Amino acid sequence: MPTPFEVQRHPTETRLAVRGSLDINTAPSLAEEIDAIIATRPPKVIVDLSGLDLIDSSGVAALVKLYKGVRGANGTVAITGARDQPLAIFKLLRMDKVFNL
Amino acid sequence: MRAIVGNTMVPTIRLTVPGTLRYRAIAVRVVGEACRLVSSSTQRDPDDPVVHDVRDPFDTAVISAFMEIFNNIAIHAYKRTGGGVIDLAITPTERELVIEVRDHGHPFDLDDVTPLPNELDEDSLPEGGMGIHIAKTMLDEMTYEPGPPNLWRLRKRLSANQAAGARRS
Repeated sequence: MPTPFEVQRHPTETRLAVRGSLDINTAPSLAEEIDAIIATRPPKVIVDLSGLDLIDSSGVAALVKLYKGVRGANGTVAITGARDQPLAIFKLLRMDKVFNL
Repeated sequence: MRAIVGNTMVPTIRLTVPGTLRYRAIAVRVVGEACRLVSSSTQRDPDDPVVHDVRDPFDTAVISAFMEIFNNIAIHAYKRTGGGVIDLAITPTERELVIEVRDHGHPFDLDDVTPLPNELDEDSLPEGGMGIHIAKTMLDEMTYEPGPPNLWRLRKRLSANQAAGARRS
């Protein structure tokens, strides 16, 4: 069951929109895309979670990997649109401040 | 065991699924419906009763915790290979939900779980080990008894405000 996600690459930024459920079953397919994004060393990545309904620790780990990978190459990451259960998880893990949610 | 939801006596809901991640969605769906019996939450779209609709705080807490425990069993107890089942006993009452999760896999050592750092920054963002922390923090009570069968007992109570709201609905 693939995660519904969409990547748009522009010269100045990369946009990743994630929808539905990002969990232990769907995160691996997104992780491959994340590896590909990191490999391009994008200056700016915008992660749109407005369509994300559910996340578990595996999904969080995938997003952390993206964040660290892009930041490690001196890029910036903006995570936007988190709501409901995903936002509750980020707050519980105290990642909301790091991600500026 | 029977419990009272509203004015109705409901038995404990029992479900047995293979202990692989393939069956997680089924189990989560059942747990989600059990949550609604307690919280009286409604689905966003009644014509599309998908499980991916978690807005109610009670439902959010229970489902988030349960997903992590199911993951833990499939990965650590059954080593991602299946070979066993997961037995669920879900008891909804007017004010709380109790879920007992049994497996016959390898016991899990809760003491091996590394706590999350107190202060998070970019460098200390964890890439793993968050599941048990999520489950424990989301619930009012979480216990684990190594088996066989191994037994996770999860308990979540409605807050006073939620209980009042549930009674009105």
